[in-house]
Amino acid sequence: MSTGTGITDEIRAFVLGSLTEMNYSVAGVDDDTPLGPAGVDLESLSLAELGIRVEERFGVMFEEDEAELLGTMTVGEFGAALAARIAAAPAAGQ
Amino acid sequence: MKDVVVSGMGMVTPVGCSAGEVWGAMCEGRSGIGRPEAGSLLDGSVEVAAFGPAIEPESVLSGPEARVVDRYIVMALRAAADALADAGIEVGRDVDPYRIGVILSGTGGLATLEAQVVTRTQRGRLGVSPYLLPGMLPNMGAARVAIRHGIRGYSSSIATACAAGAQSVGEGLRLLRAGEADVVVAGCSEAPLFPTLADTFGNARALARGWADDPTGASRPFDRRRNGLVLGEGAGVLVLERAEHADARGAAGYASVLGWGATNDAHHPTTPHPEGEGAAACMRLALADAGLEPADIGYVNAHGTSTKIGDRAEALAIRRVFGPDTPPVSGTKAVTGHMLGASGVVESAVAVLALRRGLLPPTYNLDDPDPACDLDHIRKSPRPAPHIGQVMSNSFGFGGHNVSLVYGLPGTRLSRAV
Repeated sequence: MSTGTGITDEIRAFVLGSLTEMNYSVAGVDDDTPLGPAGVDLESLSLAELGIRVEERFGVMFEEDEAELLGTMTVGEFGAALAARIAAAPAAGQ
Repeated sequence: MKDVVVSGMGMVTPVGCSAGEVWGAMCEGRSGIGRPEAGSLLDGSVEVAAFGPAIEPESVLSGPEARVVDRYIVMALRAAADALADAGIEVGRDVDPYRIGVILSGTGGLATLEAQVVTRTQRGRLGVSPYLLPGMLPNMGAARVAIRHGIRGYSSSIATACAAGAQSVGEGLRLLRAGEADVVVAGCSEAPLFPTLADTFGNARALARGWADDPTGASRPFDRRRNGLVLGEGAGVLVLERAEHADARGAAGYASVLGWGATNDAHHPTTPHPEGEGAAACMRLALADAGLEPADIGYVNAHGTSTKIGDRAEALAIRRVFGPDTPPVSGTKAVTGHMLGASGVVESAVAVLALRRGLLPPTYNLDDPDPACDLDHIRKSPRPAPHIGQVMSNSFGFGGHNVSLVYGLPGTRLSRAV
């Protein structure tokens, strides 16, 4: 967890747990690991699934044009974006 | 030279995954039919069923894709990979990617849809997987096989119920004769062992009943005590190849696909024509397409599902076509159960093996032939038939779809050892 993106343990655990449930290997995955081809290797449908898992768990959504952007993020960047989205919608989800 | 040969076989069946295993089970009466596990999803829906072997989805697909994928696709991928390996074909090395096609048929992954409907009912909209369609659509068997092997030519899936597998072979033959491909991977995969489908078959009174204590006796084509079909799961794939193409790469054929016929009863959505009129016309078309007379056929692998009306209609149809001297007939669903559309491909392979081995597999459980099904039945044990020449395989489906296929000795220079 070298970059210190400041994502919470809860969000990190959610992301890694989701990837595990989606049958991706998370061995060696940390905040610096890209979600896309150079890292976890999520493809279009798995990014979509991550999106619906976020919506089900936290009640916030990433729009379709943002979903493409998620594929270019690292785990840490995604966690930070998710944390910001949750903070901006405090009533959502819980 | 428009000769088309079978140059590879792959199958996943309740009686094994190789030609040798399947052949052995049929000749020795080793049944693939049993009771569902107590407490399993099917327990309470069917008394008996024919379960195929367990195959880990991860053995044919990447982890994330293996998670929401129907069993029909897993079996299709396994059978197709085995068939291509059996034919010694690597796409790009042995055949131009645009000169090989795939026709892989079936009902689709309805069990996976059923499971997602349950999840949606419990969890709402967000419970539905984005992977559902690629995991269950009926064309995804063909698509996944194309993706896995780099098959870039013609591809399709046929939805003619229990005739779909045989029809895939017939359409493959048509493509190859027309010169539109050099190789066609033709097959069908069916995974019908889930509650909703089993329940509708059961409620329609189509399933064998009263065999819970004697599961291996439940499927008994042409027998007086038959009272319905036994649902089974499985996949069958044949590699069809222009004989010239096979010769050019030094490959040996199992058999030639000599001809096929396809008709529709135009009678009833689920019940066959009682006199087997459409089925008889279908067999005649197949003979004519092959340039043969009825007397040229030395063995018929019947559709024979073990239903009262279906077996009788088929027996009448065979009589109408072949007259008093019908060729020897057997129904091998007695040991495999009814793998729906996949049956036609597995049974084609069985008919080809019978042709090549000069040995005809019996109809297991045919203890007391129904007088209404008056045929030259092969019973109890395999019947030697060293010079049978040509063989026929019949497949008839809900919707009145009929397909007959005729096979003969291979037209390739080399003949595949069996």
